[in-house]
Amino acid sequence: MPEDLFAPPGNPWQRISPALARLRRVVLSACLGVLAVATVVLTVVLGLPGWLLAPALVALLVAELLGWRAIGRQVALWGYAERDEDLYITRGLMWRRLVVVPYGRMQYVDIQAGPLDRAYGIARIELHTASPGTSAHVPGLPAEEAARLRDRLTDLGAAQAAGL
Amino acid sequence: VTGQHPEPEPPSAGSGRHEEGQRLSPLTPVARGGILLLAVAATTWQDLLAGRIGPVGIALLAVLVGGAVFGWVSWLRTRFWIGADELRIDTGVLYHQSRRIRIDRLQGIDIVQPLLARLMGLAELKMDTAGGDREGSLAYLSLAEAHRVREVLLARRDAVRRGTGPGFHPGPPPGAHRDAEVGEGVEVEDAEVGEFAGVGDDLRPGGVASWEPPDHDLARLHLGMLLGSMLLAPETVALVLGGVALAVAGLFVDGLLVAPGLPVMIGIVLVQGRKLSAYYGFTVSQTRAGLQVRRGLFERSTQTIALARVQGVVVSEPVMWRPLGWARLDVSLAGYGSGSESDGSPSATTVMPVAPRPVVMALAADLLHGRDPALEAGADPDAVPLVAPPRSSRWLDPFARRFQASGLGDQLAVARAGWFTRRTHVVRHARVQSVRLVQGPVQRRLGLADVHLDSPPGPVHVLLRNRASVEARRLAEQERTLSRQARRAS
Repeated sequence: MPEDLFAPPGNPWQRISPALARLRRVVLSACLGVLAVATVVLTVVLGLPGWLLAPALVALLVAELLGWRAIGRQVALWGYAERDEDLYITRGLMWRRLVVVPYGRMQYVDIQAGPLDRAYGIARIELHTASPGTSAHVPGLPAEEAARLRDRLTDLGAAQAAGL
Repeated sequence: VTGQHPEPEPPSAGSGRHEEGQRLSPLTPVARGGILLLAVAATTWQDLLAGRIGPVGIALLAVLVGGAVFGWVSWLRTRFWIGADELRIDTGVLYHQSRRIRIDRLQGIDIVQPLLARLMGLAELKMDTAGGDREGSLAYLSLAEAHRVREVLLARRDAVRRGTGPGFHPGPPPGAHRDAEVGEGVEVEDAEVGEFAGVGDDLRPGGVASWEPPDHDLARLHLGMLLGSMLLAPETVALVLGGVALAVAGLFVDGLLVAPGLPVMIGIVLVQGRKLSAYYGFTVSQTRAGLQVRRGLFERSTQTIALARVQGVVVSEPVMWRPLGWARLDVSLAGYGSGSESDGSPSATTVMPVAPRPVVMALAADLLHGRDPALEAGADPDAVPLVAPPRSSRWLDPFARRFQASGLGDQLAVARAGWFTRRTHVVRHARVQSVRLVQGPVQRRLGLADVHLDSPPGPVHVLLRNRASVEARRLAEQERTLSRQARRAS
């Protein structure tokens, strides 16, 4: 019963920006497009029979469709919820995860935004505790939401900080 | 913490004993260069006996003389001051270095005696500061002096932390006394000092100092047991089986077959020998600052485990030890990182290499409750009720599931797993960093999930493996609540 297991902790999950799905789909399409072009060029250059192209291109098309759908579902499954003392993060399509990070345990908060992220106006926020296993990050936050969340987490972290 | 100072100025508040600082033992160059001396003697003794010195001997002697001069100048240039709130160590022959170690940041001070230094009655002091790096060392001091300096530094650290010591001034620079005053200070967005800031600070002010029983030994490892445990180790089994296989191959098939196997066997023997010499005379005793571990045959080392840094423990019971009821105890300490025994060197995380299980459990309880009477009741890992994974997990872990069990107690979270080596991971709720729930695709079909309790790097990782998924979420929420309460209480 994944619905129960990954239910929001009271208030509903804050979902991340669909811009992330758009970004990832563009990247996916670009990669597969390059592959398709390379396939065609190779076939011509090596003088391979043309009928070989069809299954290769179909395979790429199928990959594109599957990837497109998976990205949509994956992005839709990301979510976070701010509680009084903890941040809940859920993610994952195949391996579903739920991380609960107490604000008092945070060591620092990172915001990352690469050139593509900035083009889509999104950023990724990452929480670090003293444990490397925590792996609490949320990609695809609108830039101002990422900044707000960082400030809030920093404040709460300082207020509730606990010794190691 | 450290810095380069081209012109070291005198310390603001010195110990008052020496304005010029203290020197290391004058025997230091000999202890450091002794190996070189031995090497020269060993390679040229034939020439020396015959009364002639060949070109090799001259070259080596030149190196020796150069080394001696360098060592002596280096000794001359090395001084240290124990200041009010910092330890300053000036070194350097060509480039001067002045290292300052904040005394309130000292986590522990280990005393190490390599063989040659030990024969000369010398010892090295290794400062262990928050952040995990061994940032400073004083080599060598006479053993008595090393103990004295260690005591002075630790006493001064406690005084600074209590804010009543000679090192306390009312207007400290921002952050300088954060540990002492804020106590629970984990600095957000401050990777460098924030990494392990607040380590060891949830002892209440004065909590350490008020507890002062005389030092006494809690457990001592007898040589017979150490040898027995090594005989019953997988390495020994591999050695014996490999030896038999090699002998058979050598006798009946071809003598050349032995050649590639031999180095491996010698390697195993050497590794075991290093373990023996490292664990020889292993003694755990109680001190004011925590548990003290002393060990070593040739190189004696003394290491103090600050109870406040204990994150969790692992009790390991290899299959061959179980009939004898023996176990091994490792500890996760903030800032020590993961200890591993893979290279044959004994890990710094080992609190007891082998002991009867009751002794190990008593040590584990001592480490877990940190001598806090309020926690003492719930600190026995064996008292935590464990639940085995449901039957459906047989599709994932058909064999391993028989040895898996996990549960949450009032104070502790416990997870046990493994047949060949049964490991019981224990962590205090107050030390859990974050709670993670993970469900893979197969687990989803079977209605199972894993709950990870994240700890700082180290041997301890409590994993509640393959719990029924409804229960898993409940466990995660329960752990969240328990660790919140425990954090508040401490």
